[in-house]
Amino acid sequence: MSNTPAAAPTSSSKSKAAGSSQAPEKRKPLFQKELQHMMYGFGDEQNPLPETVALVEDIVVEYVTDLTHKAQEIGTKRGRLLVDDFLYLIRKDLPKLNRCRELLAMQEELKQARKAFDVDEEKITSLD
Amino acid sequence: MKNSKDPFEAAIEEEQEESPPESPAGGGDDEEGRHEIEQAPEESERDVGVRRQPKKFKSSVAVADGKNKDEDEEEEEENMEAELTKYPTTADPAKMAKMQVILSQFTEDQMSRYESFRRSAFQKGNMRKLLQGVTGSQKISMPVIIVNCGIAKMFVGELVETARVVMGERNDSGPIRPCHIRESYRRLKLEGKVPKRSVPRLFR
Repeated sequence: MSNTPAAAPTSSSKSKAAGSSQAPEKRKPLFQKELQHMMYGFGDEQNPLPETVALVEDIVVEYVTDLTHKAQEIGTKRGRLLVDDFLYLIRKDLPKLNRCRELLAMQEELKQARKAFDVDEEKITSLD
Repeated sequence: MKNSKDPFEAAIEEEQEESPPESPAGGGDDEEGRHEIEQAPEESERDVGVRRQPKKFKSSVAVADGKNKDEDEEEEEENMEAELTKYPTTADPAKMAKMQVILSQFTEDQMSRYESFRRSAFQKGNMRKLLQGVTGSQKISMPVIIVNCGIAKMFVGELVETARVVMGERNDSGPIRPCHIRESYRRLKLEGKVPKRSVPRLFR
């Protein structure tokens, strides 16, 4: 009887310690499904191995984290985190840089298209 | 900043000149079930540069239509902010024609892989969560999320392709295994494509 309460806290503390050391490792898989399709698209098999997907996800999360940290360091000098910080960081990597430019241009176009669409709608309703 | 003039003027100019230098690598996004207008610019995204995979131009017809619509509407608008924009290269008819030719000759397997390549993308919601966790700030602007999704996708592409190269060197076959990814990651680090942490990561 006396052992169990003694055992209980030790086991719970052990599990807590184990839990706290395990908790950072047990990241909820953020991007698993998309990653599977993406890896297939880039050259892997139709169904990539789960451990491979998990590893790639870890690597990507670390990559994004590091990139964002660096961007933040640059950004805090001027106050806010801006897209340009990221663009500066990948300036050496031309494919990525061009791709980002395209993505931003797309977004801009989308915005304009939506704005114009709303303007047209207003015109139509005002005509009535 | 590349263009300090109106995107509209830039668009006219760039339409007349050669399309900008091809980037050898690029990712494409296309999310299923999107509105057509949204789909058009999304699909032209893919045509920036595709890593050893040819690009899709079936969708670029839709892109061209969407773009003409935009141009007409843009003509009416007078306030246009100067943006760091490049007019998408999909307007180039020669490229479009090339793509059509390549695409028509795809096998079913290639087509399915290409479709996966174009359609796969990181979810913006998840990316936003990740970025919020990293920066500690609540508001992450949309361009930042979009750029991060794009960069991450291309990084995955680099990883997987380098892993395939590694597999080829070792004469392995079958699905990619973690050891290949690790070797590929190591090589990318040597090439300097992975940002180095100023403080080494101590606890995982």
